[in-house]
Amino acid sequence: MIEPTPAASADPPPIMPSGEAPGAAAMRAPLIDLRGVRRAYQLSKVTVEALRGVDLQVRHGEFLAIVGPSGSGKTTLMNIIGCLDRPTAGTYRLAGTPVAELDDDGLARLRSRTIGFVFQNYNLLSRTSALENVGTPLLYQGVSRRERMTRAREALEALGMGDRLEHQPSELSGGQQQRVAIARAFVTRPALILADEPTGNLDTASGAEVMERLHQLHRAGRTIVLITHDAEVAQRAERQVHVRDGRLVP
Amino acid sequence: MSTLELVRLALSRLGSSRLRATLTMLGVIIGVASVVALVAVGQGATSGITKQLQGLGTNLLTVNPGSTTQGFTRSAAGSATTLTIDDAGAIARLDDVAAVEPEISTQGLVVAGSKNTTTTVLGTTPQYLTVRNYSMWQGSFLNQAAVDSGLREAVLGATTANDLGFGAESIGQTITVNGLPFQVVGILQAKGSVGHVSSDDQMLVPITAVQHYYDSTTKVRSIGISVTTADRIASVKASITNLLEQRHAIAAGGTDDFSISDQAQLLGTVDSISSLLTILLGGIASISLLVGGIGIMNIMLVSVRERTREIGVRKAVGARGRDILAQFLVEALTLSVLGGFLGVVLGVAVSALIGKIAGWGFAFNPVTVLVALGFSLLVGSVFGVWPARQAARLDPIVALRYE
Repeated sequence: MIEPTPAASADPPPIMPSGEAPGAAAMRAPLIDLRGVRRAYQLSKVTVEALRGVDLQVRHGEFLAIVGPSGSGKTTLMNIIGCLDRPTAGTYRLAGTPVAELDDDGLARLRSRTIGFVFQNYNLLSRTSALENVGTPLLYQGVSRRERMTRAREALEALGMGDRLEHQPSELSGGQQQRVAIARAFVTRPALILADEPTGNLDTASGAEVMERLHQLHRAGRTIVLITHDAEVAQRAERQVHVRDGRLVP
Repeated sequence: MSTLELVRLALSRLGSSRLRATLTMLGVIIGVASVVALVAVGQGATSGITKQLQGLGTNLLTVNPGSTTQGFTRSAAGSATTLTIDDAGAIARLDDVAAVEPEISTQGLVVAGSKNTTTTVLGTTPQYLTVRNYSMWQGSFLNQAAVDSGLREAVLGATTANDLGFGAESIGQTITVNGLPFQVVGILQAKGSVGHVSSDDQMLVPITAVQHYYDSTTKVRSIGISVTTADRIASVKASITNLLEQRHAIAAGGTDDFSISDQAQLLGTVDSISSLLTILLGGIASISLLVGGIGIMNIMLVSVRERTREIGVRKAVGARGRDILAQFLVEALTLSVLGGFLGVVLGVAVSALIGKIAGWGFAFNPVTVLVALGFSLLVGSVFGVWPARQAARLDPIVALRYE
């Protein structure tokens, strides 16, 4: 149902070095390009502005931390960057594609080939093996079962989860579940990995392990956008932006 | 996503909650099984009754004197004794008539040694056996010579023979009927009863003997006619009507002093009643299938609610609305079709059992099975679409945050 996208069919090495990717012209344009983005919610008769004009550019291969307290609008920002939501005003281009012009199916396709999500609460499919969980994004790209399983196994092995392939989420620790989630996020070889408080539910050791895996992906050329309120985690990113009351502050 | 992937996903999902899946399917299983079984019962009953009716005689026409029931008014049926043995002889000469037997009957007290019984004494001819579709159990039937010379010979029905304590060795014994001695020459094979009328409680004697000894008249109670083939019944009926109107000097448009009934009429009536019954039974059973469908919808709605977060995750990793729709629809369809299949198996087993107990045998009807399966597929899609649409329309942001 989903035609193979260039990113999926070009079959680059699992973690591709940034310099060798095709489309050098597109590479010079920012991967994420937000201009004057606003997002308002209609709550009964009151309009609440969660984002009040955000300009943000993220280059290919960057590791950006978006930092802000709860209620600052960083979750709304993440939803928009992750193509789960559309801005009410302003423009957003992801990998050159104007997001506002896409319908729901178009957004789903763009997410499928461009973004890998890592959530605070892992969001793995329950009663489903680690292998099947990691293979799920490939299912919606129309990849054959055999290839799905191969690629999912490779991704899990790359995260040191090779001996937990058939385990269900309920049989894994938090850190292990988050590593499965990271494997699921990069199994499609997306340009962008969007991590929302990935260490929020983890103890220090597991959190450090998960952060190390994200840095590993970054060193191999992935663009990482990390949403967090943890200053310590944010400091290890290449660049930080702070969100306060729906605006970016230096 | 291919259909195979969807079915695999549905099966693994249903496999992980087996009890719930089984209970949900039970509604469809019972619905489909009752449709299959009740329709089979209706059809089995029909074919059983039809078979018994056909046992009364092959391509049978019966001419009775007087008119039969018109609406709810019975006009002296049988009271007019207008048919004669000569009428029977004339009918026998018509085309396509295989055999004719006139009947005169009287009640008789039959005594054999210390036993006695009261039964119908039927005066008839050798064609009786053919027309009324009887066969001999012991001895032989009345022959033409016995009829010609009015011999006091008797053939007993199976029940009458039993009442008198007669068996295979009793052929040749003498009984008295209303005081006159008769020799038993044969006993009929039992035929069973239709409704409450036993066709085995009777005694057959030459028609001439009844006329001579009990009822000195040439009038007959009825004339049974066997037509050569079923498709000639209507034409023979018409020519008998013509013939008898001529013989009885009835003007065209006048009221006939006889009536002709044929099996086709009776079979037609039975058929229409029983097909109505079958439709009625099937209709009632369909309601339970409908209830089963509502059960599927109920569980699918609960499932969509429970799996809201899963739907959110699937959408976040690239599932489109139609992928989610297909997933939930295929799940509902898998439930209903699997339930339908098991229901067919159960229904066929139940109808075979009922057929065996009731004695009309088992008729497997592939049309019913296909209709029941098709109907369960329809139920699955009708009741699966709405929950699936609910799932497909979920906003991924809301779904991901759903607790």
